[in-house]
Amino acid sequence: MHELSIAHEILRTCRQAVAGHGPGRLETVRVAVGELSAVEPDLLCFAWEALTAEGPDAGSRLDVEWRPARQHCPACDADKPRSAGSWLRVCPDCGAVLEVDGGDELDVLQLTFVPDEKDEATHA
Amino acid sequence: MPETIDVKQRILAANEAAAKLLRGRAEANGTLVTNLISSPGSGKTTLLEATVRTLASRLRVAVIEGDIATERDAERLRALGVPAHQILTGGACHLDARQVDAALQLAAFPLVDLLFIENVGNLICPTSYDLGEDFKVVLLSVTEGEDKPFKYPAIFAKAAVTVITKSDLLPHVTFDLDAVRRQVASLNPDGRLLVTSARSGDGIGDWCGLLEERLAAKRSART
Ligand SMILES: Nc1nc2c(ncn2[C@@H]2O[C@H](COP(=O)(O)OP(=O)(O)OP(=O)(O)O)[C@@H](O)[C@H]2O)c(=O)[nH]1
Ligand SMILES: [Mg+2]
Ligand SMILES: [Zn+2]
Repeated sequence: MHELSIAHEILRTCRQAVAGHGPGRLETVRVAVGELSAVEPDLLCFAWEALTAEGPDAGSRLDVEWRPARQHCPACDADKPRSAGSWLRVCPDCGAVLEVDGGDELDVLQLTFVPDEKDEATHA
Repeated sequence: MPETIDVKQRILAANEAAAKLLRGRAEANGTLVTNLISSPGSGKTTLLEATVRTLASRLRVAVIEGDIATERDAERLRALGVPAHQILTGGACHLDARQVDAALQLAAFPLVDLLFIENVGNLICPTSYDLGEDFKVVLLSVTEGEDKPFKYPAIFAKAAVTVITKSDLLPHVTFDLDAVRRQVASLNPDGRLLVTSARSGDGIGDWCGLLEERLAAKRSART
């Protein structure tokens, strides 16, 4: 399951982002996962839990924003909704090839970080 | 007080940077790079053996093999006189671009026309990782069942080429080739689908022809 590798990359990215903020723990991490990215949100959350369980970020929460791909038919000039999990690239109404926009997101958006109070006190 | 920090970074930024580097180098060298993906045992290494037998007199070929364990696949290619390097992922279910970069440094292949990267046998995980290839190739053997494109849509949608393998076994299995064609066409209208058998040689000429076409197209776009 590559979700564990993905979780590693998320943690690395987050830890880099808070590197200048002193010791502390991640509280929440918000990520965007596109439906064409081949990453399963549930598995990613389990992987995150397992990965952070032993370290300073134990108990942190990974919020996954699911980003569907938008499919547009240039012939009908309309967006074409699909049933979940269906990826068809041809228009169900006219058979034209649909244009796909988005859905390949795999981004760390935002995090919240709780600095260690004890440490702040000793440095104050 | 928790601090809120906007990160706004691609999760696979490190992989994407490495892939970009690899792509640039392959461009400069005029090497066509393909990333072969399938479930375990679909016939990736066997297709490469057949490809080498057909093309090695005309084109220079090198192979990177990705497996969880054993040098077996690289040895199979070396036995045909092809420079091959084995990446052992030690459990990981996919190759990433940094591993490929490191492998290429270690292998120090001579300049080649075609570089094949055989990914770890898996239809899901390798899909997310750009290896700097010109295109992905997904293999599906006729013994795996005709429902696979819709069950694993991501890779069939992303791979520019779908290769059906082991067509010599068609008389012995239930595999609706037309159903597979329809699924792949609707997931990937611009993609190519080839039917091959490394055993009988069926379709191997088409596959090698496609590689030569793409190589020529890449080189003429460069000049
Ligand atoms: N009948 C028949 N068998 C084939 C063909 N191609 C491969 N095989 C057999 O399928 C089995 C697996 O082939 P490999 O080429 O090792 O498959 P692979 O995809 O490289 O496997 P992994 O690297 O382990 O994922 C071997 O026993 C091959 O002999 C074919 O065209 N016809
Ligand atoms: Mg193999
Ligand atoms: Zn339409």
